[in-house]
Amino acid sequence: MPGQKLYPRATVKKIVKAHSNCSVSKNADVMIFLDYMLFMQNLVKEASIEAKKGGERGITARSVKKVTADSLAKFKG
Amino acid sequence: MARESRPLDATPRAASADPVSNFRRSLLQTPGSQRRPQGGLSASGRKIAPPTATPHARAAFRTIDSRRAAIFTPHRARRKSVREARDSPRDLLLGLGRVLAKKTEPIVTSSSSPGDTPNHNPNRSDDDDDSHQTTLGPLHMSYDDDDDADIPKRPRLSLPIDREDDSGSDDLVPHRSVLLDNEDNFTMQSVEMPRRAYSEGPGGRLSMNSTRMSDFFNTNDMLHSEDFGRESGMFPPINVMEEEEEGTFSMADIMSPERLEDGRRETGHESDFGIHVPVDMDDQTSFVINPEVQSSPARQPPDLDEPEYNDFAPMEDARSDSYDGGGMDNDGVDNFGDFGDLPDMDMDDEDPDNAPNETTRMTAGNVTETEVLTHAQRAELRAAAAARKKRINISKHGIEYPSLPAAMVKRLAQNFAKTSGAKGRIAPDAMNAIMQASEWFFEQLGEDLEAYSKHAGRNTINESDVITLMRRYVLASAFVYCTIYVTGQRQINSQTTPFALASRHLPRELLQDLRMPPPVLSKKRRKASGGAVPAGEEDVSVT
Repeated sequence: MPGQKLYPRATVKKIVKAHSNCSVSKNADVMIFLDYMLFMQNLVKEASIEAKKGGERGITARSVKKVTADSLAKFKG
Repeated sequence: MARESRPLDATPRAASADPVSNFRRSLLQTPGSQRRPQGGLSASGRKIAPPTATPHARAAFRTIDSRRAAIFTPHRARRKSVREARDSPRDLLLGLGRVLAKKTEPIVTSSSSPGDTPNHNPNRSDDDDDSHQTTLGPLHMSYDDDDDADIPKRPRLSLPIDREDDSGSDDLVPHRSVLLDNEDNFTMQSVEMPRRAYSEGPGGRLSMNSTRMSDFFNTNDMLHSEDFGRESGMFPPINVMEEEEEGTFSMADIMSPERLEDGRRETGHESDFGIHVPVDMDDQTSFVINPEVQSSPARQPPDLDEPEYNDFAPMEDARSDSYDGGGMDNDGVDNFGDFGDLPDMDMDDEDPDNAPNETTRMTAGNVTETEVLTHAQRAELRAAAAARKKRINISKHGIEYPSLPAAMVKRLAQNFAKTSGAKGRIAPDAMNAIMQASEWFFEQLGEDLEAYSKHAGRNTINESDVITLMRRYVLASAFVYCTIYVTGQRQINSQTTPFALASRHLPRELLQDLRMPPPVLSKKRRKASGGAVPAGEEDVSVT
């Protein structure tokens, strides 16, 4: 992690800009990415739970797809 | 008769060693042309080999006798009798028949009057006289009959019978017997005969037509003469039939007009037949052609459509199988998950022992919904995959944007998976799903942030907007957990601030960036911390 960049800030900014059709302030992308990390954490956690329930080893596409809608709804503004 | 001719024929034929064919031939000969037998006849009617016969001829006679014995077995008594009748001198019988025919009275028909018979009988020997008298006779008698009875004359069925008698009266009795004899013998002997005769080669036919003797020595001439002569005179229909058959086969098998045209081009005469047949068959051919023409295009569209269905079908099956394999409990849990509950709640409250009825009811609807979702997701995944390959993503605002690096997303997912105790194993297809989910997340987040910034009268997204968004999420999660963590809300407050979350998740350089603008961040932090909520925040981050 030390020598590695956590995330490409410019890319995240571009993505949010494209979707919102708005300019993104200087450090807002950090908070955006924090939100994204929380989302990913929630998604992966629920996917792993789903995988365990389904008797699957590891996280599979099925489990991820099953919990995607819920996670997205949970993080909707 | 047959026996009479044998000695004469047998001697020349001895070389051919085919007595049976000779026997048949002799039967076919006309009685008048036959010579009187030189050799004597035995009491049983068998020929005795003439004294002039060579040893070969005697051997031939022996074989003939043996074959006759084999052919005329006792069980064929009927034919034996016929043979005996045939054996009796034919001239005598013919003469007797003629003599008797004058004296015998023909069977009186219902229409004919008794007066006719005397007129007919003496005149039957001459056909011309018969014809005149028969015509005259009935006329006279008809006058007489008119007085007697009109009814018997009315039925005309009797008239043709009389005519037949008149025309063929002379030959009737002897002809029938002779013809029957010849035919029977021919059929009986033909069982064995003709093969040898034909195997002998041209010799068999020499006797049939003496004029072709010269031809047999020159095989080419013979072939040509037979081929051309017979085909031209006797068997022109053979070619016609063959052509017709070919034409019909082509028509029946392949109804396409192109083939018909080909057939016409190939042969002139065949073209005529080919044309005539379809004209007659017009209705049928048209009916046959149409279904073929329709069937071929009808097959193609399903081919085009099938691959799509095939692509979808296995996915549906996989989903359904997984559902089946997962069992009822999973489905029941999923239902509650769909209602918006958090997974922890599901885990705690919903144990595998659920009321089976409820779960079953829910599963039916749930499966369908999930399948629909999977359909939509599949399509979107495909579109996303295609777009990802192209590296061109266009938002709804028409702005092109890059996609998140898969490596970064995978690293994040693996880190979180490890923290959540899933060993960090993520299948590649799961990574695709996660990428899709993250893409949707950013799309949703952009729309929400846009709405917040526009609501605030700004055209730029600030951290305040993001923190508002996060607080909303925190609020939502807090409402879910409020029942559990009512008392602990304010204690956890300090740790659930966005800054605390950021310090927990983000590296130090990013935290420095967050801290760099102290006033802004402090404001946000105050707002976030001052917000009444975030109890569940800690749980979400921790668990």
